Amino acid sequence: MFPKFFTNQFPLVMYLNGLIEDGIINIVKTGPVPQHIALVMDGNRRYAKVNGIQLKSGHDAGAYALVEVLGCCYRVGVKAVTIYAFSIENFNRSQAEINTLLELLKQKLLYLSDTGHYAERYNVRINIVGNKDMIPNEFRSALDKVEELTRHHTKRTLNVCFPFTSRDDITSSIANVANRVLSEELAVADINLQQVSNSVIDRTSPPLDILIRTSGHTRLSDFLTWQLSQNPTSTVVFTNTLWPNFKFWQMMWILLTWSYYQAINASEIRIMTTDN
Amino acid sequence: MPIEQDYSKTEHGTQPVESDHQDLNGTPTLPSFTAKNSSQTVNTLWRTLITPNSPNVTPNSSYYELISFYVYHGLLVLLYFNIFIFGLITFSINRTKLWFFELAYNPSKSPSVISADIGKLNKIPKRVSVILNLKPEETENGGISGLISDSSEVCAWVVASGIKYLSIYEYGGELKNNIPELRRSVYKKLAVYYGTDNVPTFSIKVPHANAIYYGASDQDIDQQRYKNTAHKPILQIVLLSNVDGRATIVDLTKVMADLTTTNEISPKDITVKFIDDELKQLVGEEPDLLILFQPYLNLQSYPPWHIRLCEIYWEPDNDAVTYPVYLRALQKFSTCKVNVGK
Repeated sequence: MFPKFFTNQFPLVMYLNGLIEDGIINIVKTGPVPQHIALVMDGNRRYAKVNGIQLKSGHDAGAYALVEVLGCCYRVGVKAVTIYAFSIENFNRSQAEINTLLELLKQKLLYLSDTGHYAERYNVRINIVGNKDMIPNEFRSALDKVEELTRHHTKRTLNVCFPFTSRDDITSSIANVANRVLSEELAVADINLQQVSNSVIDRTSPPLDILIRTSGHTRLSDFLTWQLSQNPTSTVVFTNTLWPNFKFWQMMWILLTWSYYQAINASEIRIMTTDN
Repeated sequence: MPIEQDYSKTEHGTQPVESDHQDLNGTPTLPSFTAKNSSQTVNTLWRTLITPNSPNVTPNSSYYELISFYVYHGLLVLLYFNIFIFGLITFSINRTKLWFFELAYNPSKSPSVISADIGKLNKIPKRVSVILNLKPEETENGGISGLISDSSEVCAWVVASGIKYLSIYEYGGELKNNIPELRRSVYKKLAVYYGTDNVPTFSIKVPHANAIYYGASDQDIDQQRYKNTAHKPILQIVLLSNVDGRATIVDLTKVMADLTTTNEISPKDITVKFIDDELKQLVGEEPDLLILFQPYLNLQSYPPWHIRLCEIYWEPDNDAVTYPVYLRALQKFSTCKVNVGK
């Protein structure tokens, strides 16, 4: 609510800020709350350019914004959050930037999953979703460790899509079904929508409710297209805010308007989503 | 180890429906977020206030929990009311804006006006897709005839813009059930724009039925011209519906699985490029721009494979198929930069 530099100087202001944020969260909690939110964290590079800082600092600022948004989502009661950490297409970027991103991701995930920290506090299971064969070896073991450390958490989920594209995900679901048919676990006649929706996200998270993309681009960039087409009430929100500036209030506004539309259209949504 | 909840099998929230046509009366419906009038919304808000349907409050809750719940819930409904008022204001502003655009950008059935508008743009999409909605009969431009009229109008704008490929997605597939009428309507609309001596050639393809139709009717004297393979139609129209989405991918999976059992392919051959080639045959190419003529963004189960990088455009609070919305979509497209990961 108050500018960060202001709140950091005055503990009382920090306390008031925290109270107001808690109040808003309690208010939003009494209405419909989305079960699964997806985030495309776009805008770190533009943020760095606009503020005249290094690219690495832009990505760092993005990581801070992510931790704040995750905290706010989990406190409101969202069960699963999926983030688009790295697209398979991002391997087209310069090697230096790729290394920066991978290193930052590794550090942040290790920090979040460490004992006593975030994942334990909020009981979050971290899944690394995507084509793991494309992850460089030096990062693979760290990411496997993150998954191992948080595997026993059951209350909430964080799906880190890395490296991921929806087309790759759909293809591996199809190949998975083909493998199961070949090993005679499944008959061809039994293949249906449920069998094909077998990616990690489909198995461990509720249906997608909101997909948020920051920095104004109005395209999906191959993210969760399958999950979006699955749920007829899922919403996509495109916001012009750059990701490092996307904080508590922007997230709350989106949750509030979503909750409003759900409350207004509750009876229609029930018709659309029950199997008649 | 606690048992994990397997969301692929539970009934939590929505579950993947086997056939999306299984609705109350057979017609898929979508929430019309702006169709409710003000008194209905206020009524719903009042009911939300006095009878909240929340799992947070149970008969066993303590008095403190109940009181704090109702206080917070009351504040929530107050915020809802503010959003409602804000929504009314933005609705009025958007509607006024759209009304001005309709006056300013009137193509008056003239391809040269449209070409002049499009000529100012520094890039146009090669393939355009639109999502149209079947409206109730009693509304303006409603029913099948309204849908066909809107589709024909869009075809005329696309031809005048110099774009060769248009796909029309309508959730229930009603256009596919009315092909003869659609062909005649598109022909008539193009004749109004270009004159009866100069009607551009067009084809209508229905990938799911593996059918393709040329021109206004099969009795058209121009059929010979179409059959000549050297002559490609000026406009290729593809009709898509809900079955071209996930259902087609499920069918493709069945075929792939069958082929693996007869050793014609191995699961290792199932790559992104392979599936892409197959779906290009079964559904079509991915569009560069997707235009929604509806007041809010809802993709209506559009084929998931084909929505990878395309720009999505819609005009808030607009529910009509009008030229200004189409033009603004193209204008937005011409200013956007696609990095593809870089």
